Amino acid sequence: MAGILSSLRYLLADLIGEDDEEPPFLPGGLPDSVVAVVSEGIHRLIEYQGASYANLYVHRLRRFVGRRDVDEAMFREIARLMIMRMSYEDPIRIAQLKLAELEKVVGDSPAQSADDVRKFRFDELIDALPAAVAGLILRTLERMGWVHKSVSIRFSTASWWGVRRLKIEASLRRWRLFSIRYAKERVWVERWLHMIDRSLAKQPAAVWEIIQTATMVQGYGDAYRQGLADWHAIIDGLAKPTFDGVLPLKDLAGAVAEARTAALAAAVPDPLQAALKRTIAEIRARALAAREHAAV
Amino acid sequence: MTGTRWNTTAKNSLRKIGWLPMDTSNLLQNAGTAGHVFASIFVVATLSMRTMIPLRVFGILTNVILIVTSIPSHNYAVMLLHGVLLPLNAYRLHQMLQLVRDVKKSVNSDLSMEWLKPFMTERKCATGEVLFYKDEKAESMFYIVSGRFQLVESGIELPVGAIVGELGMLSPSNMRTQTLECIEAGVVLSVSYSQVEELYVQNPEFGFYFLRLASARLFQNIATLEQRLAQHATAPVSATPKLA
Repeated sequence: MAGILSSLRYLLADLIGEDDEEPPFLPGGLPDSVVAVVSEGIHRLIEYQGASYANLYVHRLRRFVGRRDVDEAMFREIARLMIMRMSYEDPIRIAQLKLAELEKVVGDSPAQSADDVRKFRFDELIDALPAAVAGLILRTLERMGWVHKSVSIRFSTASWWGVRRLKIEASLRRWRLFSIRYAKERVWVERWLHMIDRSLAKQPAAVWEIIQTATMVQGYGDAYRQGLADWHAIIDGLAKPTFDGVLPLKDLAGAVAEARTAALAAAVPDPLQAALKRTIAEIRARALAAREHAAV
Repeated sequence: MTGTRWNTTAKNSLRKIGWLPMDTSNLLQNAGTAGHVFASIFVVATLSMRTMIPLRVFGILTNVILIVTSIPSHNYAVMLLHGVLLPLNAYRLHQMLQLVRDVKKSVNSDLSMEWLKPFMTERKCATGEVLFYKDEKAESMFYIVSGRFQLVESGIELPVGAIVGELGMLSPSNMRTQTLECIEAGVVLSVSYSQVEELYVQNPEFGFYFLRLASARLFQNIATLEQRLAQHATAPVSATPKLA
């Protein structure tokens, strides 16, 4: 009977989103100062998604274990920022965190938590659903012209219905890895790691700055979209062309820092990225002029 | 009217010679029941097949029997259903047999993987798009149809018609060894490893030839590397007299 049930579970694993992988072990050869960070990451990602997701974290970290060109501080920062990025804030995560607040006990009674009202765009909400379902809904919303409309969502533990709703939202985590948002996040993390790897090979002095660019992408809603767009603009405009040998930028670290400052200088998110694009264009022009000057 | 008179006359004649006329009204019904029993045996046989080719063959036989037995009983719904299932089963069987034949041919000729094309899905790639990153877990293989694609770390440009990532499926680590970037918009065909694994499990003959093909490609790679190594080793020797 147990065998039949296990076969059925395996058959329906994708549908019920079951994760029967074993939790990962800490990778061998980790520097002592990093153990606590990685261990915390494994626990957080198991709680966030499951053991297989924590395994993916360890798998990604292993790429940098034992590399002579990656020192302890760099490794710790990669491990820390990767946890942050892999536990991205989607509506499912916010529901999980709200429920976790409820489980905290103050004295003899459950902790009281204030209601959270978060503003999402429709496409951001739908992106958290499995791609097969989300695609259809997004096409319908697009026809209606509602894709970019904002909606406020209340995350509340004040009532029975509020808690039930949070539990339903948090239960969507089993299908999170099939969502459009996850596909985008996976590509983003891989690109960030790829840029670190290329920086190690081409411009080791800029590695720390490239690692730190991950802090640009945080939160949810408009802030998240702006951070992501700025990050891609900096990587596409400065880092990648330098690694490809197209842009003769000797101080990539300085250039990235300058561009980040320009991006952060805007008091309100600027979807047109005017200041950032101007700064990137100036840095590129300077680098090309310096090469021409050197050639003369 | 004429028929009724003939029937009565015939029955009287049979009675005269001592024969009793057979009641044919139930004959078709009995044939129908027998046909259904026969078809049920084939349904059980179909479902008990372990691999895909015998399953399809028995599926086709079951379709034929159910179509034939549904004619006398005028069961048009069954007839229609199996009328649709018959060509579907035949097409899938043809695909499977074609696949085995193509893999077999490939093993004995140019080791190409073109036979996988019917099972692949098309994907358009824009300039600058990355199909996969180095050290990422490999989950699919690609066939380049058009455009220009480059392995970033080695700088090697892959020609149209190249297959990328076929050995990743069999490697224990399942990791990409390079990054593949589209440098000029084009089209690739992709197939996930799980789809190939399904074909492998469904069809042992395909599995056997696929393994032989993958091993042959691996040996071919080893031979190329050995050749390069030999060239590398002989280069300083030939250069020495010149230097001297």
